[in-house]
Amino acid sequence: MALTRTTSSTSKHDAAHSTQAVLGAGTRVRGRITGDGDLAVHGHVEGEVHLRGELFIAEGASVVSNIEASALRVAGALDGDVNVTGDVALLAGARVRGDLRGASVSLEEGAELDGRLDCEFTLPVELSGGGLDDSDGPTVRR
Amino acid sequence: MARLTVIGRGVRVRGRVTGDADLTIEGHVEGEIAVSGEVTVEASGLVGASVAAHVIVVRGAVRGDLTGEEVVRLEEGARVVGDLRAPRIAIAKGALVKGLVQTGSVAATAPRAKAQASAPARPVAAKRPAPPVAAPSRPAAPPARPAPVAPKAAPPVAARPAAPARPAPPPPPPPAPPQQVVAKGPPPPVVPALKKGAKAALKKKAT
Amino acid sequence: MASTVIGAGITIEGEVSADEELVVQGTIRGKVDAREGVTVEAGGTIEADITGGPLTVAGSVTGNITSSDRVDLQAGARVVGNVKATRITIADGAQFKGNVDMDV
Repeated sequence: MALTRTTSSTSKHDAAHSTQAVLGAGTRVRGRITGDGDLAVHGHVEGEVHLRGELFIAEGASVVSNIEASALRVAGALDGDVNVTGDVALLAGARVRGDLRGASVSLEEGAELDGRLDCEFTLPVELSGGGLDDSDGPTVRR
Repeated sequence: MARLTVIGRGVRVRGRVTGDADLTIEGHVEGEIAVSGEVTVEASGLVGASVAAHVIVVRGAVRGDLTGEEVVRLEEGARVVGDLRAPRIAIAKGALVKGLVQTGSVAATAPRAKAQASAPARPVAAKRPAPPVAAPSRPAAPPARPAPVAPKAAPPVAARPAAPARPAPPPPPPPAPPQQVVAKGPPPPVVPALKKGAKAALKKKAT
Repeated sequence: MASTVIGAGITIEGEVSADEELVVQGTIRGKVDAREGVTVEAGGTIEADITGGPLTVAGSVTGNITSSDRVDLQAGARVVGNVKATRITIADGAQFKGNVDMDV
């Protein structure tokens, strides 16, 4: 059953105890979610998520929100930009629309993604020619 | 066996590589690659070219767009600056990417504001049983980068009058410009009708 | 054994430079510089000037050849272009049109 259910526009769910918090399948949250600790979303979230912990979006869940977290795992639907200090992993059933930034980003075959990936790295010198650098991705040009 | 081409570590190719075959790259290729089979960029491979193929597997470094008719797989060690497009895309944890990633068939990405993928334009040499001369495949993604290279390919070719009987120098790429018009997927990042997270942003403002 | 094989279905238009042996079963148009030598197999086509090491041709070459070593045209070879090499053999059945310079 849902642990929390709120529809007010400013709701804050504070998972301060750093035990995992879960938003059950029947939950709808609209607003901001912030906290310390991991959060597993099985329901629906719309708003913003700022987590000092790992966010897991389960299969069947849907999140429409920009996300900041320590790590992100997605098996459900996500529409929003992601900025994560650690790893981003899109599992096979994920459907994601948005730009992803993290220390590493992985996609299982079968994950759907429409967005940009932005990892920090440089190409070997031999391939540096080309002027525009990577901040844009090569095709943006022209 | 005739189908497998290996460009070894000590080899550098500057120009267009096309054909009905599989290609394994351990060396350095600049320009354009459009083949109907599988392209594997090994760990030592350096590719400064757009790649269009049926299957693309990358373990090395690529600066260019990757368009797979079936799948694009980046394995650990891959470093790619460029856009990835294929019905299925896999990116291993140790692979690094900077660019757009679009899964799903080209047509399917249409609804997405970002994706003006024009399906027809994305032929990928694939279909043609590469008549050696023709190289009909204009790889879908016209990365700007190869442009400087492409012209380079042209001159050496043009300078080859040595072949009297031969059909005129291969269609050098004047394609560069038209390509951009025709091909296309890498939609200049159009402002999507609904910016991702816009709802979220609105919500926040409404707060 | 060559580690670079340009297979039959492949066409390269541009410049190829190699510091290992090159085996060509497909088509190269442009320029070829192969220090360790080139083998153009039957069915292979090179429309380009070739420079480098030993050259063995069973296929087709149109272009000038400058080899630091030997050039062997096998039966079935078709070569149009000037050849500069230390040694050259043209097998019976090979077709060749061009000048040969074995200047030492």
